Amino acid sequence: MEFENVEAVRQRLEEADYICSPEAATVVFLAEATGKPVLVEGPAGVGKTELAKAVAKCLGRELIRLQCYEGLDEAKALYEWEYAKQLLYTQMVKDKLSEIISGAGSLSEAVDRIANQEDAFFSERFIQPRPLLAALTSLKPVVLLIDEVDKSDPEFEAFLLEILSDFQVSIPELGTKKAVHIPFVVLTSNNYRDMSDALKRRCIHLYLDYPDRDLERRIVQLKLPGIGQRLGDQLVDSVRAIRDLDLKKKPCISETLDWARSLVVLQVEELSPAVVEETLSVLVKYRSDSGKVRENIKKVADKAGLTWTASS
Amino acid sequence: MDRLIIRFATCARAAGLMVSQAEVMDTLTHLALVDVTDPQAFHRVLRANFAKSRRDQPRFDHLFHLFFHEFREDAGLSKDLLAPEAARLARELAKEFPDDPAFKAALDFMAGDPLAFLEKLRALETDGDRPAMAMGGNLGQVARRLEMMLAAGKVKDGLLRRLGENPDNLPWQTRRELEEHFLSRLDAARRLISGEDRPLEAGAEARSAYEKRLGEIGERSFVSLTPKEVAEMREVIDQLVRKLKDLASLRYSRQKRGVLDVKKTLRKSGRYLGVPMELVRRNKPPKKGKIVTLCDVSGSVWSAARFMLNMLYSLQECFTRVRSYVFVAGLAEVTGIFEDNEISRAIDKVLAEAELEYGAPTDYGATFRQFSRNHMEVLNKKTTLIIIGDGRSNYLNPELRLLEEMREKCRRVIWLNPEAKGFWYSGDSEMRAFETRVNEVRPCQNLNQLTDFIQDLIL
Ligand SMILES: Nc1ncnc2c1ncn2[C@@H]1O[C@H](COP(=O)(O)OP(=O)(O)O)[C@@H](O)[C@H]1O
Ligand SMILES: [Mg+2]
Repeated sequence: MEFENVEAVRQRLEEADYICSPEAATVVFLAEATGKPVLVEGPAGVGKTELAKAVAKCLGRELIRLQCYEGLDEAKALYEWEYAKQLLYTQMVKDKLSEIISGAGSLSEAVDRIANQEDAFFSERFIQPRPLLAALTSLKPVVLLIDEVDKSDPEFEAFLLEILSDFQVSIPELGTKKAVHIPFVVLTSNNYRDMSDALKRRCIHLYLDYPDRDLERRIVQLKLPGIGQRLGDQLVDSVRAIRDLDLKKKPCISETLDWARSLVVLQVEELSPAVVEETLSVLVKYRSDSGKVRENIKKVADKAGLTWTASS
Repeated sequence: MDRLIIRFATCARAAGLMVSQAEVMDTLTHLALVDVTDPQAFHRVLRANFAKSRRDQPRFDHLFHLFFHEFREDAGLSKDLLAPEAARLARELAKEFPDDPAFKAALDFMAGDPLAFLEKLRALETDGDRPAMAMGGNLGQVARRLEMMLAAGKVKDGLLRRLGENPDNLPWQTRRELEEHFLSRLDAARRLISGEDRPLEAGAEARSAYEKRLGEIGERSFVSLTPKEVAEMREVIDQLVRKLKDLASLRYSRQKRGVLDVKKTLRKSGRYLGVPMELVRRNKPPKKGKIVTLCDVSGSVWSAARFMLNMLYSLQECFTRVRSYVFVAGLAEVTGIFEDNEISRAIDKVLAEAELEYGAPTDYGATFRQFSRNHMEVLNKKTTLIIIGDGRSNYLNPELRLLEEMREKCRRVIWLNPEAKGFWYSGDSEMRAFETRVNEVRPCQNLNQLTDFIQDLIL
């Protein structure tokens, strides 16, 4: 067990620049202690990927990342043969090859003879490990991030499930490879589609939502230590009020941080409704959403406690 | 602790959460690692193991609250001393109605064990989803709700009566507390039965919004849809298609990675100086062959045909190729429109762009003549030919011989008829003749029928 208790997780993640909720700390703690994968769900930009990075950082482990997308297949995730290298070797052993096929009565006999040599062509030497194999065969324990797993195809998900159940893969040409260490696995999902029950059963579940006020405030403080107390509060409250509107895409933590950075650069010391409107484009990405915020600026200002006369 | 968690798991399952043995074991392992006297930590561990998607969380929280707070053996009783008292009363009362399961469930509920009661409710609610069988079919449900309501009332009366029987056995404060406790429990039961408080449904809303819509719209006849419902139908179809795709690909998902086909690989490598540039594996998932559709777009048939095309093209990757033709009195190929446009736009374009004489009377015979003259080569033994139409050919020559020839050329011909079955063989319909010349005839009046068909097609 790498962590002493839940509190230790919280502390060490914080030292790795990640502020986490008690839920997140609990789940990370349990997953680490029992070697179970974590399935992190939540809207975009709430720190799912960052959590995996922070876990790797605080454990001093390498982070191996597999970014999922539609059409991702086993070859790209597990290993590929190094054709160039195979080509080079075949060229170099050309003479040997012609020796093998010399005297073959027919083309198919020649092919069969070469086929008998397949071990030489498809050996470990020519394998290029991709993230999954790399994570399994790493001599040091690693953190394996399977990012945005909901974007992969169900077929790939079924394959992942096999790996996460056995922590071994069978490479038809080479036999079975077993994990040296069970990696700490984090799967993230934006809920584009539902993951299968079997995969969920393998994992311990964490839902990351938009952070509560205190958490977001602390993240802002962590990333921008120079920000003024008052501006920080107003900023977080405004973001929260804007999130309450019915938007196409609600601002996420990274957008809060972008906004905070621009306000600091602009040397704003206090937020006013006017400043919110002027700098809105950093926070809200769709035009229809900005429109909605402008329409509701009074409501936002009230909720966030902004005063109309404040100078910017 | 183990027993408690196992009972909670049974409850959670009764409420429709997916909780397997694996989750129960994990939970027990996890609980040993945290401080279980911290109620929040306890809740977090259970939630991480019992509610494995966002959608399930509200339902889980509600159930958790019911189970560990409201209905806890000792909850609501100010002193733990009262719990045995309540249990004793319940035990005695149980003897009075030994063979009444509803009464027993209600009694357990009042005394602190909600499991049987919740399960009965659940049965009630799932029954409620079934369409009413015959006239007044819903009466059964109402009657059973009433039965449970009566049982709860009977339990309360019984308990209060027993409480009043021997006033000297218990101090009056205790009696009053017990009475209050039972009354509040009864109230909870009532809320549950009447549906004001629906723990089994909290959070299920998001999940079933689509299922509910499917239920509402699935049996509606295509012809009767309003424009708004057409748009809604498209959304439902999108989700259906996603599910079907998942099904199809899971089905083909190879249990084991396809084994390298060394011979084929080396054969192919001939082109690259003997270097295996392209690996060939065995066990590629089979494609489901070619699809050719012939759609009658006259009148009411189009309303069904458009949804079929929508689904077929959304599932294109399940087939080697989909080619489509539309017809009234003549034929036009519209494959290109579908290949160059996003589906719903393509569907809108079909009627505008296909060069057809819409005014002309529908003529199946002429359509078959044109098809066999110009397009026969698209049919081969891997082709499924789907014809969608009402078979009303205005008493013109139906050219049955040509239809037979087409059937001989391809793997099978399936005829989808969007008309209500009662009209199939009347008037100028040639269904009776067509029926004997194709491999299969299916009704296709609504989304459920269409979905069944498409599912059979891809799986
Ligand atoms: N709890 C947190 N502590 C510190 N920074 C955070 C936290 N959550 C999110 N962030 C910031 O937000 C950014 C976006 O998070 P990310 O992990 O990419 O989101 P997701 O993967 O959920 O879409 C990160 O780069 C990080 O700077
Ligand atoms: Mg991410």
